[in-house]
Amino acid sequence: MNRWGAAAISLLILAVLVLAGMGAPDHIEAGDPSRALLGPFSAPPFGTDERGRPLGVYVMQGASVILLPALASGLVVGLAAVAGGLLRCVGSGRLDGAVQWALELLGSLPRMVVVLVVALLLPSDARGLLPLGVCWALLSSPGAMDEAAAVAERLGGARFVEALRAHGFSWARIYLYHVVLLNLRPVVVRQACETMMQVCFLEIALSYLAIQEEQSSFTHSDSVHSWASLLQSGYRWLVIPEVMHTGHALGLGLLLLGMITLSMRLASVAARAR
Amino acid sequence: MRLFAAMLLPLAVPAILTLLIWALPGDPAEIICPPERCGGTAVLAARWNLNAGPWHFYQGWLMAALEGDFGRSWRVQQGELVSTLLKEAIPTSGALVGLTMIPILLGAAAGASGRLPERVDAALSSIGTIPAVIFSLFFSAIIEINYGAASFDAEATRIRMLMGVAVLCLADGALAGAVSGVRALFAAERNQRYVGIAILRGEPVLSNMLPNVAPALIGQLRARVLHLLSGMVVVEVVLRINGIGDLLWLGTLLQDFGVVLAAATAFAVFSAVLLGAQALTEVAVALHVRRAPAAGTLVRAAAGRSGQGAPGAAGSA
Repeated sequence: MNRWGAAAISLLILAVLVLAGMGAPDHIEAGDPSRALLGPFSAPPFGTDERGRPLGVYVMQGASVILLPALASGLVVGLAAVAGGLLRCVGSGRLDGAVQWALELLGSLPRMVVVLVVALLLPSDARGLLPLGVCWALLSSPGAMDEAAAVAERLGGARFVEALRAHGFSWARIYLYHVVLLNLRPVVVRQACETMMQVCFLEIALSYLAIQEEQSSFTHSDSVHSWASLLQSGYRWLVIPEVMHTGHALGLGLLLLGMITLSMRLASVAARAR
Repeated sequence: MRLFAAMLLPLAVPAILTLLIWALPGDPAEIICPPERCGGTAVLAARWNLNAGPWHFYQGWLMAALEGDFGRSWRVQQGELVSTLLKEAIPTSGALVGLTMIPILLGAAAGASGRLPERVDAALSSIGTIPAVIFSLFFSAIIEINYGAASFDAEATRIRMLMGVAVLCLADGALAGAVSGVRALFAAERNQRYVGIAILRGEPVLSNMLPNVAPALIGQLRARVLHLLSGMVVVEVVLRINGIGDLLWLGTLLQDFGVVLAAATAFAVFSAVLLGAQALTEVAVALHVRRAPAAGTLVRAAAGRSGQGAPGAAGSA
């Protein structure tokens, strides 16, 4: 697939999710029990849940839960990658070494463990996916900085900058255009997209685990349903398909995860170097 | 420096957690056990050493922990010794990660040697995009369908463990990353000039490359194990495996700070062991390269002039 096609599809999926998130209601209204567990053809576009509520509301609320935190996390990792690449181009060995060691320590603990500890320590009124997503992004930053630094190293690092200075280019043009936009772009976008995808999956995992234990999620209020609710509902169809006709909820949950994965992968393809 | 970091990590994690509790606005006892959930906060604060500042709490906890006393669980299993919970959980998680490392190491070795064709990487990578929670959910359903009420008997527990291994291996790109990462590492090293010289001398390639790739290999291995430890939490909870990830999750969910502190420290100790192992390997490799016999001086000099790789292995052969 060419870069423009990939970018167009990725942006289209992202736009659909943004619109869905922006239109999400604060609460799910009581449904019509007589319309419970209808499939997508009987109750378009996605069918209904056990209480007759449309699954479209779950899609919108789930999108609203993940959108902002995922974008913020992607931004954090993207900026970290840019910083890692630029740092290598500056050519300060001492600073580079100090940052390397700090990052090594930061990345020496399993991310999920740190995220859970942060979730425990957050005051109940500050709980949400945003702080957890940013924490995840900070823990992902060492890898992104490392990769960006390796790209800058292959480019020539400080010698590349010196060569461009000799051509009379300004610092802004060298660093922002030649280093970041032309050379670091693929790594920055790929790392940001991967983190955004991971934060979406993190939300679904944390919410699913909380639902399984019949507890409140760390990532959203009890009045909001994440996409994990669709998976949990669909899980019952997997176990007792003859009683629970919720296969469409599972299908919808998987479709949404697939859309997120596809969008992020295509964004990485679109940002590849020519 | 890395060894120093490894020694520091198990002390730093509880210290940071303690500092965070005191840094957050509000009374530490109320943060750990909100008044809407716990009554008699002042009494609890005195019992948990939370009434005399962070140093008092940290020192008390650390001294007790060094003697194997992590206190008692406040909510996960109220009154139960945390050390007992850890003793039950750690072997299970150790077995889960240990078993998962077998296919990952085999895959990495097959990738490095070229026995696993490169086209498999794309398939593994595609499977690896599926998150652990989805894999776990399907495997959990399989267990429930096949075992029903007997989902927790010995055989089902064994199957659950094996499914946990499969999930950890396939989900989130663990196996895919190991295979492609090690393959790329060896492929890049094979292009080094000293490898060509070793081949011309009729020496085995692997033994020549190994000292040079060992630091990067152990670094990748450490990252892989950390990745597994992270995914282990989800797998253990969804598949109902009573490991340390499950314990940490329950401690977090039920706000059992004693359990979380002990579990996080256990994770930190494990991470420190990995960090220490990486540091020791790097030291061993550096010593091996430095002790290369004089017969290899010419080869070392030739490879050194080309600025490609540390030629200790080629020289020592």
